[in-house]
Amino acid sequence: MSRVFRTGVEAKMENKQLINPQDIQIQGLLDRFLRSQVSRDSLMTQERHLDEDSLAAFAEGNLGEREALPIVNHLVSCSFCRHVTAELVRLDLAFADDEVRIAVNDNEPSRISEVLSNLLSRIFGTNDSAVFAHQEKEDDLEDMKDSKDIEK
Amino acid sequence: MPPEVIQYENSFPECESVMVETYERCAQNAPNFGVLAEHLKDSLCKTVRKYLQNNSSEEPTTEEIKDFLRQIQADDLFLAIACANGNERAWWEFDQRHRSYLERVTRHLARTDIDAQEAIDSVYVELYGTRVVNGERVSKFATYSGRGSLRGWLRTVIWHSLVDLHRASHDEVSLDEMTENVGEGHAHANFAEVNLGGEVDMINQIAKDRYRKATLSAIENAFANLDDHEKLLLLYYHVENLKLREIARLVENSESPLRGWFQRKSASREKNPATRIHESTVMRWLEKSYANVLKMFRDELQAVHKLSEDELSICMELATQDLAGSSLYRNLTTTKNPSTQRRNLF
Repeated sequence: MSRVFRTGVEAKMENKQLINPQDIQIQGLLDRFLRSQVSRDSLMTQERHLDEDSLAAFAEGNLGEREALPIVNHLVSCSFCRHVTAELVRLDLAFADDEVRIAVNDNEPSRISEVLSNLLSRIFGTNDSAVFAHQEKEDDLEDMKDSKDIEK
Repeated sequence: MPPEVIQYENSFPECESVMVETYERCAQNAPNFGVLAEHLKDSLCKTVRKYLQNNSSEEPTTEEIKDFLRQIQADDLFLAIACANGNERAWWEFDQRHRSYLERVTRHLARTDIDAQEAIDSVYVELYGTRVVNGERVSKFATYSGRGSLRGWLRTVIWHSLVDLHRASHDEVSLDEMTENVGEGHAHANFAEVNLGGEVDMINQIAKDRYRKATLSAIENAFANLDDHEKLLLLYYHVENLKLREIARLVENSESPLRGWFQRKSASREKNPATRIHESTVMRWLEKSYANVLKMFRDELQAVHKLSEDELSICMELATQDLAGSSLYRNLTTTKNPSTQRRNLF
């Protein structure tokens, strides 16, 4: 399909007489107008921007028309949010083939809190093992049960 | 019981079954997350209110809400709720499933590995939450609604985190100046100061100015009179430099609002509107938008400014003399694979 289309475009470009000059002119005119318009608009910063949740849902095309109406409206006038959505689309496409790792590692540690404590201590620069301490006993009991089940 | 739940239960009792089913499925998939049915309901109600009830004067019907609830990325939301609650099993799973992806995306965007690491750490801090409100830690996860995927949401969080880091190190740069420098380079042109060059016989400066003003007014009004969906498509293509395949990606989801709008407007709608959108389709949408602009542009020049067909051609010539290289077809070049093309945006 894409190849057919490109061929069509190539044919059009080779036979320039098939293209209405005004069609090309209006594209150029619009292009220049939009870019200059955005330059001017960028001086007027929007008071509020879309939140990350709305931006991500829109960029993924997950919003219905009813939900998207105010977002589309905002994106037309807010160059910042529009730029974010454009970048998100590029990122989405760039990582489209990225393997989705759904399966959780089989080598699940017996004490998950150890892993998380290490993670948090690396981020916060302190040992935050206490953060998850309230759940350790519960999980340890479950882990013990699991290992007993396996032994049986 | 949280107020959202009360409101939901009063307004949409028929949706209870969908919420219960969703909860049971999620709890079965992740029995160790410690999420209560009320937590999930509360979150789902917030999402309904945010996306369905706030955006229209009309209340959504029960069926609309049910459909909406079925579209929620429930397992992702369940994981986010559990992480927001500080459940360690959930955090461990989040780390296992998404950390590597998060790191790759950040490294793809950041200038240096140090910047990337700083951004990743910052994202984790935000996700965990250091702010305490009314004695409760506020996790960034609480802002995820499940309307999009968790990974899509993470990409946005990363992007913002990098913007914040960039701003912190470039205090003198305004937000807009900075965003213009992020991503694809933008060479803004100044329409009002176009150097039209050359002398056209028989047209003096006054006449030229008149034509220029008329042209600017006509193109401005023509664009202003387009529907927002068309405007956004044109802005994505011309200003954000999204390629046709990137726009096609944006409308890949059959529920996409842009896609829905253009398909409804299209006289030659595809037999099956759920099929994949190709670059050629986006091209057709653009061409239709150009045609609309051209028609309104010509109408204004002729009806309002009383210009003849010859004068109209002069306007077009004057305004586009230096645009010879610009063409609708410029963006057909293929993009590089991300693995070989590292884009350092910051």
